[in-house]
Amino acid sequence: MTVGPVPFMALAAILFAIGLFGALSKKSAVMVLMSLELMTNAVNLNLVAVSRFVTPESMAGQFTAAFVMVVAAAEIGLGLALVLALYRKRRTVELDHIDELKG
Amino acid sequence: MSDLVLIVPEAFLLLGALVALFADVLARGHARAGAWIGAVAAILATAAALWAGQGAPALFVGQFAVDGAAQVARVATGLLTAAFLVWLAVVGLQRGSVRDFTALVLFSALGAMLMAAARDWVVMMLALEVATMPAYVLMGFDRSDVRGLEGALKYFLLSMVASLLFLYGLSFVIGMSGATAMGATKLQPGLVGALAAAFLTAGMLAKLSAAPFQWWAPDAYAGAPAASVAFVSAVPKVAGVVAFARVVLVLAPQAPSLPLLLIGAAVLSMIIGNLAAYPQTDVRRLMAYSGVAHAGYLLVGLAAGGEAGARAALFYGIAYAVPSLGVMLVAATVGNTLGEFRGLAARRPFLAWATVLMLISLIGIPPLAGFTGKLFLFTAAMGGGLVPLSVFAVVMSAVSAGFYFRIVRAMFFDSAAQDLQAPRVPAGAAAVVALCCAAVIGIGVAAGPLLSAISFTAK
Repeated sequence: MTVGPVPFMALAAILFAIGLFGALSKKSAVMVLMSLELMTNAVNLNLVAVSRFVTPESMAGQFTAAFVMVVAAAEIGLGLALVLALYRKRRTVELDHIDELKG
Repeated sequence: MSDLVLIVPEAFLLLGALVALFADVLARGHARAGAWIGAVAAILATAAALWAGQGAPALFVGQFAVDGAAQVARVATGLLTAAFLVWLAVVGLQRGSVRDFTALVLFSALGAMLMAAARDWVVMMLALEVATMPAYVLMGFDRSDVRGLEGALKYFLLSMVASLLFLYGLSFVIGMSGATAMGATKLQPGLVGALAAAFLTAGMLAKLSAAPFQWWAPDAYAGAPAASVAFVSAVPKVAGVVAFARVVLVLAPQAPSLPLLLIGAAVLSMIIGNLAAYPQTDVRRLMAYSGVAHAGYLLVGLAAGGEAGARAALFYGIAYAVPSLGVMLVAATVGNTLGEFRGLAARRPFLAWATVLMLISLIGIPPLAGFTGKLFLFTAAMGGGLVPLSVFAVVMSAVSAGFYFRIVRAMFFDSAAQDLQAPRVPAGAAAVVALCCAAVIGIGVAAGPLLSAISFTAK
């Protein structure tokens, strides 16, 4: 039995949707960052799957995935630093309690 | 190998950033030496971008090419960065070290310059990140200020989601085309291709702070240090417009739903930006909403499609960035609230009149840059058959006059509170504001040559 591209793309879409939902709905900044990681994984899975099944002769998707990992790691690192700096000031990572700016 | 001179501007910015980091060692006792070094690097980069001309270095196999649009955007980015750094060198920061700040500004400008010339999806994605990542740090630069950190966190979260939407769209595009070159993009017709184009567009919209992704901008602008806001709100956007225009030019022929998305985002941005700006009493928050509205006008040009729309959009991006930087620098000197602007005409007449000139350009009154920019945009939209959208945009820019005049009224017709001091304005800072005013007039008067210098080539 051979597996086509659809299961992989569907899994990536589900992961991306879960991540997006988490990023928009979670109350804790740490959970939001984890949701963003989930979305990154979905992107990488999709890159590799589409590239493997639609244009297998080129490795474009595979090596782009390596770049995406680097970028995502750098972004999450920065985000974690921001959350930590905020935690030192407010003693909380709950986004509902971080609401000095309104309007 | 001689075509490698095309990346000399980026090399100057990188070198400037690295040297600026060690400014305290190089020039002991001069706290703001870093900003001067950065300003010199930015001016050198501008000169190099002007002198190197256009072309595509063979070494980069088509991943990087400078056409008219890229050259104009790089020169504009370099000039705006230089003006901002001179201002920073004269005025300084309230908290934090000027050399770190300068290095971050130069890294962001470096990303912006690369982005303007990127012809490869991966290069564009990396350049976009290089341009925005220093911006998060700049927004949260004052680590003792909870409001600034909160704004920076909101900016980061939205920007990261935007990056991921962009990347998810990109994963389909790269997989389907089997190559990362933008010129080789092949979208399959049907739902997946349309979705991929929509994801890419959504990511770009969020980076441009257009609706429906606008909500981070007012909070981030109101909380962050004034100098950071002035830079982030204006300078990287010029190159961002070029990148967005290239994405639209590549995708629009293959994704017929794309113009509809852009029209929707344009209408929403203009409505939200112009109406939400009215009740604001904080000038930076007001300018944030005004930025959303201006992103909407830009999208009118991009939605029109074709090279004419893209050229008009870039012209308008520059015509917006210059007065926006000027007004933000004035706000950084005078204060954030409308109350602090009261009676400015009596206390600092020069700043008040300069602000009026720049606001008039933002409204779009001839013969200033904003007017010619809007003229080009709406002409392009008419040419693309978007007559109702152009009419709507004209009505909306008339609506925008109302909230800009609230600043003017505060400066000229309200008397200042008794305890309000005249703000300290060093000669250098006034010179930078005067330069912004001169540029606003100059771009408006010499619009023809500038527009004809902007050209998008496919290769």
